[in-house]
Amino acid sequence: MIIAGLKARPVRTTVSILAVALEVILILVVVGLTSGISDETGRRTEGVGADILLQPPNSSLFLALSNTTMPIVLRERLRELPGIKAIAPVQTLVNSSAGLEIIYGIEPDTFNAVSNGFIWHKGRLFNAPDEVVVDDIYAKAKGVTVRDTVELVNHKFKVSGVVEHGKGARLFISLKTAQEMTGQTGKASLFFIKLTDPDRVQTAIAEIKGLLEGYGVIPLREYARLMMSNSMPALDAFISSVVFIALCIGVLVIFLSMYTTITERTREIGILRSLGASRKFIVTLIFQESAAICLAGALIGIGSSFLIARSIMAVFPTLTILITPDWITRAVIFAVLSGIIGSLYPSLKAAKQDPVEALAYE
Amino acid sequence: MKTLLETAGLRKIYAAGKIQIEALRGVDLRIREGELVAIMGPSGCGKSTLMHVLGAMTKPTAGKVVIDGQEVSGMGDNELTRIRRDKIGFVFQKFNLLPTLTARANIDIARYIHGNGVRSNGHDEHLSEILQLLMIENMMGRKPSELSGGEQQRVAIARAVANQPAILLADEPTGSLDSKNSEIVLNMFRELNHKFKQTVILVTHNPELAAFTDRLIEMRDGVIVGDNDSFSWDTVGEIRGQTDEFPFFEVQK
Repeated sequence: MIIAGLKARPVRTTVSILAVALEVILILVVVGLTSGISDETGRRTEGVGADILLQPPNSSLFLALSNTTMPIVLRERLRELPGIKAIAPVQTLVNSSAGLEIIYGIEPDTFNAVSNGFIWHKGRLFNAPDEVVVDDIYAKAKGVTVRDTVELVNHKFKVSGVVEHGKGARLFISLKTAQEMTGQTGKASLFFIKLTDPDRVQTAIAEIKGLLEGYGVIPLREYARLMMSNSMPALDAFISSVVFIALCIGVLVIFLSMYTTITERTREIGILRSLGASRKFIVTLIFQESAAICLAGALIGIGSSFLIARSIMAVFPTLTILITPDWITRAVIFAVLSGIIGSLYPSLKAAKQDPVEALAYE
Repeated sequence: MKTLLETAGLRKIYAAGKIQIEALRGVDLRIREGELVAIMGPSGCGKSTLMHVLGAMTKPTAGKVVIDGQEVSGMGDNELTRIRRDKIGFVFQKFNLLPTLTARANIDIARYIHGNGVRSNGHDEHLSEILQLLMIENMMGRKPSELSGGEQQRVAIARAVANQPAILLADEPTGSLDSKNSEIVLNMFRELNHKFKQTVILVTHNPELAAFTDRLIEMRDGVIVGDNDSFSWDTVGEIRGQTDEFPFFEVQK
């Protein structure tokens, strides 16, 4: 009866299923994109190889969103602390002309000391202010190679070399150029700190905090773990908003679908009641139809999400979309939840209908 | 014979906005097991309301209704639903088959609600007999839209009796049929009554139906004004002289 009921109204059933699928896609792709970027950023930042990340007070963990800086001379004070092997100041820039790409302005010597140097695919390090080093993924995505020109933050740069990915950013320019472009001469967005003994991280952090009160000091491994986590506090509000909007779409569509269904099928409900169907039977029937729509929508949504994710990553290789089993489960739960909430009032309304009045409904 | 249905002082008042309509104004009635009864009267006389009350579809405003030994007038929705499910079979003027289901599924849904389960062996035999009697065995795969009015009504009858209800209530069962199909359907009611001892109550405004029933109850303005049942002598005195327009029905004394 459930299938027959759904098949009898194919357009509405299809639209409802697609709306639930859209709900699932919205959750999986947006959350997948967010956590994918976050996860990938975490991995890349960890790949720098430092032990500690130091940021100015009130900085964001999202390096791309942070525009606070600190004087580079601070590193002279840090060097006085025991066990500091190397300090690499980095000025970050964001190129948003094609996606959201973070650019590291680096001092080659200090950055190499912290990260053990780049693995070179082609070319060499930048020698001039208008030269940039790109990683292999960026080069492939943009179809650029050594001597090609790329436009970053409204400036033209010549690609001087291509390196293996995984050292924080995909684009590297000189620190001086980055400072000039941001108007932050003599300053840096963050310091990567390498210790002589990695086991001394907590001690070193305590010492740094004592020296630079209010500054953000975090073990790089913890930073990476936080970025790769599914429950990152900074992302929770955004993800919750997306899930809420998706849930609202699902609830409204199911509500509309089920409400019009029970209105159209008032007489059928009257017939079932005359046959001895209880109110519980009617509620269950409406819920089962709603569940069938949600389940079909969830399945299509999951399949489509993987297809969309694959398509996006094919077109934008620098993006990572992470669709995890955890979020698939959550998306299905949200789809079912929207079905339950959306069909609650219609099903109760249907069950409360007077059998005599329902049978007289034309 | 066992009394299957009994009402006493049955009243039903509908509220239509600020106006109250008294559809039943004290109905006393007794129907025995195995009877084939017609409740007849003009439109608006309260016969459909009476059918709804007798079928546990609605509660009376006052009075007593006993269905197969159970007083139902004070019952809640769940108990009334159980009575409908276990004791009553309905046949309607507009057939009221579920349009999205096949004839077979329409019957099965009634059996499913009743709790017999589609694969119940015990009742399959009974159902086969019913389908044979109603001559619809070969139409089970068709949807209502693929059946004629007469065929739809026969499927509706099969659905109504599939669970062997104590009482079969039919509201204007020939109202949407031509004369030929009307006769077929009425003969089937009589067959069901004779062969399976099915208690049948036909509600109609069509005097021709009387010829098919053993007993005729006439209603007017919410009360019974005629009953050719030997057990109903008390009502006959009141209705004497009001039956002239029903020449086929002669009140016996």
